[in-house]
Amino acid sequence: MAENPGAHGQAGATTPISASPSETASTDDSLNARVKTPRKRPWTWIVIAAIAAAAIIIGIVAIVNWPASQPAGQRDSITIGLKLAPTNLDIRNQSGSALDQILIGNVYEGLVARDENNQVVPALAASWKESADGLTYTFHLNEGMTFSNGDELNADDVVWSIQELVDKQYHDADSLANFESITAVDPHTVELRLTKPNSNLLWTLAGRCGLVFDKDAEYDAKTEAIGSGPYLVTDFRANDSITLKANPDYWGDHAAKTQTVVIRYFTDDNAAVNALASGDVQVLAPVSENLAGQFADDTEHYTVQAGDGTDKYVLAFNGAGEHTSDSRIRQAIRYAIDHEELIASRGGADAPLGGPIPSLDPGYEDLTDLYPHDVDKALALMEEAGYGPDNPLTLRLEYANTYGTDLGDQLRSQLAEIGIDLKVEVVEFSTWLQDVYTNKDYDLSLVDHNESHDFYQWADPEYYYNYDNPEVQDLYAQALAATDDADRDELLRRAARIVSEDAPADWLFNYRITTAWANGVEGFPVNLNQTQLPLWNLSYEG
Amino acid sequence: MRFVLRRLLLFVVALLAISVAVFAMLRILPGDVAAVMAGVNSPPERVAQLRAELGLDRPLPVQYLDWCGALVRGDFGTSMLTGRSITTQVGARAAVTFPLIILGLVIAMLIGIPLGCAAALARGRRSRAIYRLVSIIGGAIPALWGGMLLILLFGRGVGLLGVLPSQGFPTSGWGTPGAALASLALPALSVGVIVGASLMRYTRSALGEFVASGYIEMAMSCGMTRTQAVLHVGLRLAMPQMVSVVGLTFAEMITGVMVIENLFALPGLGTGLVTDVGNRDLIAVQGELFMLAAFFLLIGLVVDLAHRALDPRLKASADGNEVSA
Repeated sequence: MAENPGAHGQAGATTPISASPSETASTDDSLNARVKTPRKRPWTWIVIAAIAAAAIIIGIVAIVNWPASQPAGQRDSITIGLKLAPTNLDIRNQSGSALDQILIGNVYEGLVARDENNQVVPALAASWKESADGLTYTFHLNEGMTFSNGDELNADDVVWSIQELVDKQYHDADSLANFESITAVDPHTVELRLTKPNSNLLWTLAGRCGLVFDKDAEYDAKTEAIGSGPYLVTDFRANDSITLKANPDYWGDHAAKTQTVVIRYFTDDNAAVNALASGDVQVLAPVSENLAGQFADDTEHYTVQAGDGTDKYVLAFNGAGEHTSDSRIRQAIRYAIDHEELIASRGGADAPLGGPIPSLDPGYEDLTDLYPHDVDKALALMEEAGYGPDNPLTLRLEYANTYGTDLGDQLRSQLAEIGIDLKVEVVEFSTWLQDVYTNKDYDLSLVDHNESHDFYQWADPEYYYNYDNPEVQDLYAQALAATDDADRDELLRRAARIVSEDAPADWLFNYRITTAWANGVEGFPVNLNQTQLPLWNLSYEG
Repeated sequence: MRFVLRRLLLFVVALLAISVAVFAMLRILPGDVAAVMAGVNSPPERVAQLRAELGLDRPLPVQYLDWCGALVRGDFGTSMLTGRSITTQVGARAAVTFPLIILGLVIAMLIGIPLGCAAALARGRRSRAIYRLVSIIGGAIPALWGGMLLILLFGRGVGLLGVLPSQGFPTSGWGTPGAALASLALPALSVGVIVGASLMRYTRSALGEFVASGYIEMAMSCGMTRTQAVLHVGLRLAMPQMVSVVGLTFAEMITGVMVIENLFALPGLGTGLVTDVGNRDLIAVQGELFMLAAFFLLIGLVVDLAHRALDPRLKASADGNEVSA
C-alpha cells in the first residue's frame, strides 16, 4: 500500500523526497522519506499568509470611494474638530460648556450675545435701556423673527423662556441674581425687573439664561433643537458628532455662509491631528500645543493661532483642610510653583495668571508679582509651619483624568523641593464631583474653570474651595449692586487682589486655546471659542 | 434534547445572577448622573431636584425591580443622559464594533490558521524557531503601538503610503459601505495581527497534540503523507477546539478592541461603555453590560452545541451519563 501512494491522487505524494530519516518515528525508510516536509514549506505558508493579508488590504483600498476632487472655489460643507462632546442637546438641564459652545448663537439665540472680546452686543433684542436705579431693563426686540419651525418669535416667547428658567430652576438659573419679574409690554418690548441692581445681568443674559425657546413647540430637547438661529441640528450622535445645516428661513443678518457644518469630537489628540492632516477636518480647536508644530511649520497649508480665553487652571487648597487651612503652607505652595516651567512644557502659548480674574473679564489686574517663584521663601514658610525636606508634609491632590497626568507629575516634583510629598490621584470626573465638589474631601484639587464672570465662586463660602472672607463677599456684593461699570470693575479688582493675597488657590495659568485650520478657512472665532462658537461667518474656499 | 434544555435553564439562571451583580456593583461607584448633569456651577438643591426627576432617590430594590421588570418585557430603558433608548444606542455602536471584530477575526484566521498549521508541520529546528519567533512577536505587539505603526505607514495624510483613513467612522455610516469599510481597514488589521498570533499558537498546540498522538501515524500508515495526515485528519480532530477558541476570542474582542477604537476614534461599544461609566449613566451601563454578558453566554452556548455537532463522542458520553443518572 505504501508502495502505491499515487492512489490518493496527490501529485506530490508520489514524488520521492530524499531526506535523512534521523528524527522520524517509523522504521520504514520509504515512509520516513515522505514524512519529511519539504524545506521550502514554511516560507510558502508565510508567503501565502502575507499575500492573503495584502489581498485584503488592496481589496479594501480598491473599493474605497475616493473623495472626488472638487473644483476650487467656495465649499458648501466644512468639518470642524472639537474636543469636549455633549451627551445630549438639552441646554436647559445639562451642564457643560460643550453645549453653550455649539448651540448658543448657532441654533438658539439669546436676548443679547457676546462678541469675541467678551462684550455684550445685540441679538434678539435690537436695543435695551437700563433705568437709572438699575432695577428695570427694557428690551426692544427685532421685528419679523421666526423659529426654525416657522413659529413667530415675540415677547411672549421671551417672557415664557425666562419665567420657565426661574420657575423650574433650570441650569444656571441662580446666576440670574435678584430677579423679580419679566413682562411683555407689547409684542416687541420686554421689561425685566430686579429686586436689587445686578451689574452682571446683561452678560448673564448673553449666556444660557437669556436663551429664547419656542413656547408652542414640542420636541425631545435631548435629541433635537428648535431655535431661531442661523443653523439647524440635522443629525446628533452623542459623544461623536453633530451636523448643522443652514436655516433657510433665518430671520436676521447672521445668515450662515456655509450650508453644512459637521462637528466631530475627538477624545484622542493624535487622532484629531491626523484628521486635520488628512483633510477630514478643516479646523481643529483646540489642537494640543505640543502637536501643533507640524501645522505651524507648514504655513503654506495651515494657520495656527492661540486665542484669548477665560480658562483658569485653578489649583485649589481646601480652606478647611487639616494642613491647607494653614496660610503659611498655602503661601509656600504658591511660592514653590514655577509657572513658567509649567507653561513652557505645555508648548508656551498659555498666559500666566496671578489671581481669580482672567484678562477678558471685568476687574482684571496682573497679580503675578504677588507670589513670584521663590523656593527659599517657600522653604522658610514651610519651616515655620514645622515641615521641611527632611520632615515632609503629605498632601493629596485629586483631579479629573481629562487634564492628563503630566500636570500632577510636574506639581509633585516642584513641591517635593520644599518638603511636600504630593500624592496625586487622577480620577474620573464624576468621582471628582463626588469627593471634591460635593463632599469637599480633599487637600488640593485641580480644575480648569473655563467659565467667564465666575468670581462669585470666591464670594460663596459654601463653594468647594471652603474660602470664607467676609470682606471679599462684601466687595462682590457691592460690585453686583454697582450701576456704573467703572465702579464695578474697581470693586472686583480690589476683591480679586485680596483673594490672591489670601492664597486659597494657585492659578497655574490662563489656558489659551490654540486653533489650527487649513488655509482657505475664514471666519472661525479664535478667542473664547470653547465657551461660545458662532459659526455663521465661517466659510472655506479651497 | 435534555442537554439543550439543561443548558438553556443554566443560561437563564446565569442571566439573573448577572443582572443582580451588574446592578449592585455599579451602585458602588462614587458620584451619580445627576451630579454630572448639574456640573460645577450648580447649588446642591439643583442636584437633589435632578435626582428626584430621574428617580434616583428611590430605594435601590425598587429601582432594581423596576429595571428587571422592563428587562423581562425586552425593554432596556432609556439613557438618562442621551435620552435615546439603550437598544438603539447599543445598535448604533455595535454597527461599528461587530464589523470591526468580524473583519479582524477574518484577518486573524487568515494569518493564524495557516501559520499555525505550518508551524505544526515544521520539523527543522530553524523553521520551528522562525515560527516561534513570528508568534511571539505577533503576540507581543501592544495593540496601541501596532495601530500607531499602521497609521504611520498607511494613514491618509500622515502615512508613508497614505491611502486609508486613520481615524473616525463616516457620519453616513454603512450608507456608504466603501468609506465605512475603509475606515475599519487599519483598525481591523491591527487587531487581526495580534489575534492572529494567538490563533497561530492555539492552532499549533491543538495540532501538535494530535501530531504527537497515534492518529496521525495511523493515517500515515494508511498511506497519507504527513502533510495530508495533519491537514486532513489532525485539523478535523482539532476542529472542536478551534471553534471554542474562535468563539471565545470573538466574545473577548468586543471589549478587547476598545483600545483600538479609541486610537482610531471609532464610536464603538468599548468607547461608548467607557463614556457611559464616566458619566455615571448607570441605566445605560447596566443595560450594555447585561447585553454583553448575555452575548457572552450565548456564544458559550453556541460553542457547546457546535462541539456536540462536530464531535459525536461528546454526545455519546453525555447521553450515557444521562442514562446512568
